[in-house]
Amino acid sequence: MTEATRAVSIPVDSASATSRRAPLSARLRTVILYLLLTALLILYSLPSIGVVLTSLKSNAEIGREGIWTLPDQASLENFRVAWETGNAQKYLLNSLKVTIPATVISILFGVLTGYALSKLSFPGSDSLFTFLVAGMFIPPQVVMIPLFRMFNRAGLYDTLWPMIIVHIGFGIPICTLVMKNFFSTIPTAIREAAVIDGANELRVLIRVMLPLSLPSLAVLATLQFTWIWNDFLWPVIFTRSDDARTIMFGLASLRGQYSVAYGTQSAMALIASVPTLVIFIFFQKYFIRGLTLGSVKG
Amino acid sequence: MWAFIFLAIPVSFYLVVVIYPLVSSFYYSFTDWNGFSDTYNFVGLDNFERMKTDRLFRNAIENTVLWTAAAIVVPTTIGLLIALALHERGILSRVYKSLFYLPICLSLVVIGQVWIWIYQPGFGLINIVLKEIGLSQYMRAFLADPDTALQSVIAAWSWQQIATAMVIFLAGLTAVPKELTEAAEIDGAGYWRTVRHVIVPLLRPASIVVIALSVINSLKSFDILYMMTRGGPFHSSDNLAMMMYNESFQKYYMGYGSAVAVVLFLITLVVIIFYFRQQRGLEQLYD
Repeated sequence: MTEATRAVSIPVDSASATSRRAPLSARLRTVILYLLLTALLILYSLPSIGVVLTSLKSNAEIGREGIWTLPDQASLENFRVAWETGNAQKYLLNSLKVTIPATVISILFGVLTGYALSKLSFPGSDSLFTFLVAGMFIPPQVVMIPLFRMFNRAGLYDTLWPMIIVHIGFGIPICTLVMKNFFSTIPTAIREAAVIDGANELRVLIRVMLPLSLPSLAVLATLQFTWIWNDFLWPVIFTRSDDARTIMFGLASLRGQYSVAYGTQSAMALIASVPTLVIFIFFQKYFIRGLTLGSVKG
Repeated sequence: MWAFIFLAIPVSFYLVVVIYPLVSSFYYSFTDWNGFSDTYNFVGLDNFERMKTDRLFRNAIENTVLWTAAAIVVPTTIGLLIALALHERGILSRVYKSLFYLPICLSLVVIGQVWIWIYQPGFGLINIVLKEIGLSQYMRAFLADPDTALQSVIAAWSWQQIATAMVIFLAGLTAVPKELTEAAEIDGAGYWRTVRHVIVPLLRPASIVVIALSVINSLKSFDILYMMTRGGPFHSSDNLAMMMYNESFQKYYMGYGSAVAVVLFLITLVVIIFYFRQQRGLEQLYD
């Protein structure tokens, strides 16, 4: 069989290592599969392609030809309008002010709880772990009203604070889960050696454990940043004025204001997506690892 | 001692921001609080009684059930098919995977925005295609039509959910031993029979995660609905989350809104219990 295979297979596509020795019919099947996949991919990417096309067109051209044609003359005018008159600058800054502290602090909390629950376990620590992780499943709508009341009373309505605080709180479950699972894989002997050398727990955590946990921290950073950046529910509930708007809320409210300026909206949508796209492209490995937590080991 | 120091702040934070509001929601669901006044009355089970006759609540429940059903079927099957097509297909498949993953990192606000243009009556892609292929009798303003609004939003939502399902299935596929699938094919089982009788059973852990994730996301879904229809037209696309928002933050029936939130929580709880049961069953199976 192998000899026959070699005889008929002409290396047309040597890039594909797995199909090098496959019979011709199998290679044909691969080609057909890829043609189908390409068609499917184009279909699947149409929404994304649509935004990019629209963002490059003038409003006059959109009015004339709709949004699904190639631009006659690509221009970045829409991005300028979104940036300057659409307030994209201000909204982006607000989003950063919310996303960065919330991401950092929730991960920091996860490091503390994860370390305490795995390496300093005590009676009841397993239950506490379950209790902390269970929050992951609570639909945010369930706690919306009491939080609204709480922040209103504290005088924080229409500021960025409620979003930062809530994202930290709702980040604790996933951060605890990931960090505890990670610290559990580190041999206890490493910690004990450091403790015998006279280091206290905080020192062990910072000097010994943290350097080892960089991949897990990267998983959490990509996930948390993306989720918090993309969030839309909390700004709707906790803010009202333009000054406290995040980019996603800004994008949503643009829809009401300039209902015809599709070009501006597309440009704004792209601007709003750049940070998460960049993270996704450069840290995809960590992102995927985070998403597939628990799905492989069963 | 150190454990206490490390846990004190994060756990208190969690109690104040997540657990206390959760308990409060149950408390408010027995009141007639309007969202602003300092006083309110206890009304016992009145809010829950009211649901029985509230047509908006019934409608929201029905829509939530439809959404959940779609969440179980659509991302799972399409996500699995794309994952199978992309699994171990040479170097090129890595590029394809990344491109298929893309919607995962997009905000539902952006996705909603884009899909509005797909459904748009004048220049929307679907209507253009329908017109071109001579099916103009099916052209319509999909999001403004009570018969299609909800389904259209669910389809847009599934677009992202399919990508998530695919990622998880691809991870699951790497755990399927190659010898098993090869053995089945050598025995003459053919590709689809191998998929059905060998691969799909082995993907059970991944499938449970996909379904649970998808269902929980469907129960939470609000962003994309708010963006695309706000539950309209005439509440035809309201789900429980949207109805709860309307009752509490548009009509200021915070008591009643809390009761709806409690119902939403109880439904989620059922899903989670089911999920953990399945997980535990699997652990016993594999140990």
